[in-house]
Amino acid sequence: MTSNPLALIAEITHRCPLHCVYCSNPLQMMGTEAELPTEEWIRVLREAARLGILHVHLTGGEPLVRADLKELVEAAHSAGLYTNLITSGIGLSEARLGSLVDAGLDHIQLSFQDSREQSANWIAGAKAHAHKVALAETVRRFRIAFTVNLVVHRQNLDHLEEMIGFAEGLQPDRMEIAHAQYYGWALKNRDTLMPTCRQLENCLRIVGEAQERLSGRIRIDCVLPDYYARYPKACMGGWGRSLMLINPAGEVLPCHAAAVIPGMQFDNVRGHPLEWIWKDSAAFQRFRGEQWMPEPCRSCERRTLDFGGCRCQAFLLTGEASATDPVCTLAPSHHLVESLQLETKAEQERSGEVAWSYRMDRS
Amino acid sequence: MPALLDSSRPRLAVGCRWGKQGEDRVVLLPEGIIRLQGTGQSVLELCDGEHTLRQMVETLSERYSADTAKIRENVATFLEALQKKRVVDY
Repeated sequence: MTSNPLALIAEITHRCPLHCVYCSNPLQMMGTEAELPTEEWIRVLREAARLGILHVHLTGGEPLVRADLKELVEAAHSAGLYTNLITSGIGLSEARLGSLVDAGLDHIQLSFQDSREQSANWIAGAKAHAHKVALAETVRRFRIAFTVNLVVHRQNLDHLEEMIGFAEGLQPDRMEIAHAQYYGWALKNRDTLMPTCRQLENCLRIVGEAQERLSGRIRIDCVLPDYYARYPKACMGGWGRSLMLINPAGEVLPCHAAAVIPGMQFDNVRGHPLEWIWKDSAAFQRFRGEQWMPEPCRSCERRTLDFGGCRCQAFLLTGEASATDPVCTLAPSHHLVESLQLETKAEQERSGEVAWSYRMDRS
Repeated sequence: MPALLDSSRPRLAVGCRWGKQGEDRVVLLPEGIIRLQGTGQSVLELCDGEHTLRQMVETLSERYSADTAKIRENVATFLEALQKKRVVDY
């Protein structure tokens, strides 16, 4: 029997004033004209709650570029959903934040690119840092849960302690240290973003110390870059098992990156009920359960923990979406990840100018 | 870490609130849920910012006909662990 989904990632737009080099949005982004209108989103949010979903994560692009954000928060809240806004903060005034909180927003997650202004703006491709710092102070004036998200990678990991100290000063309830995950623009920029093994070891130590020091004040969660893990991540908690994502046009995907897998077709909320898409659509069935698994996954006792890892990563690295995730040290293709680790080490030793591609909206 | 006193009034931390999963009451967190049964559920239900720890312990020892000192110890350990996770404040 298919379980109910627990969370919905609602990518309400691809538009964004930032151009972060690690953005997980697809390289081919959708323009305004393709976006689902307000009333469609409201209907979908209600369907999601009826389907058993508990959390909705409003994200993008930058969700604040949609003028109807308050209506969407109101609809999610009144349907009983826990409502989380994942934002860069650009476009958020105190008055607008107040209206979102009144509409029932439960939690805001504000991302930072660095503790150092110049570097932060360089990574974001926009002058955004000073505004974010000012906004963090505003957020604290509201009774709302506040998470500071630090996106880390090779270009800023060498001063992680400083970044944590900076984030601590913003007085969040939670801090998330998120290593860039290599999809979309981050994959395009992987050569300059992927951390070295040494950076990762230092990161684990620094995060452990900070967790100890801030215990009871700020909760710190750390999302590891799985290229250096022994076993793959339980991507999305397993394909079609607990999460679904709706993109700006209304297509429903099992994860952010699933469109990279050849032959995938995504049904749209304009044409089908969400429940049918979750239970019966081909996209959600494709890697659900264990039938698709090759060896060594099929007989591995970890298959109920990581569900075979990430299908998109398997495809992007091996060319075969049903291959064992090459991150896994048991995977026949694990040498691909090992050689990436070596290349990264060599790349860093050649310290030169960093050339990367900024995320660009469709013009 | 704040001290948990008999006069403390534990409450769910900001961003944590009750919700429903089917017929069950669960606590919704920024990224996840807590599903509790039995005594754990009873303790959290009393974290309303009004009951003091002393009142919580009295209520629970009546309900479960158990030794007050033992209940206080268990409830305090439970609440301190949840405070560390930023689920409960006091």
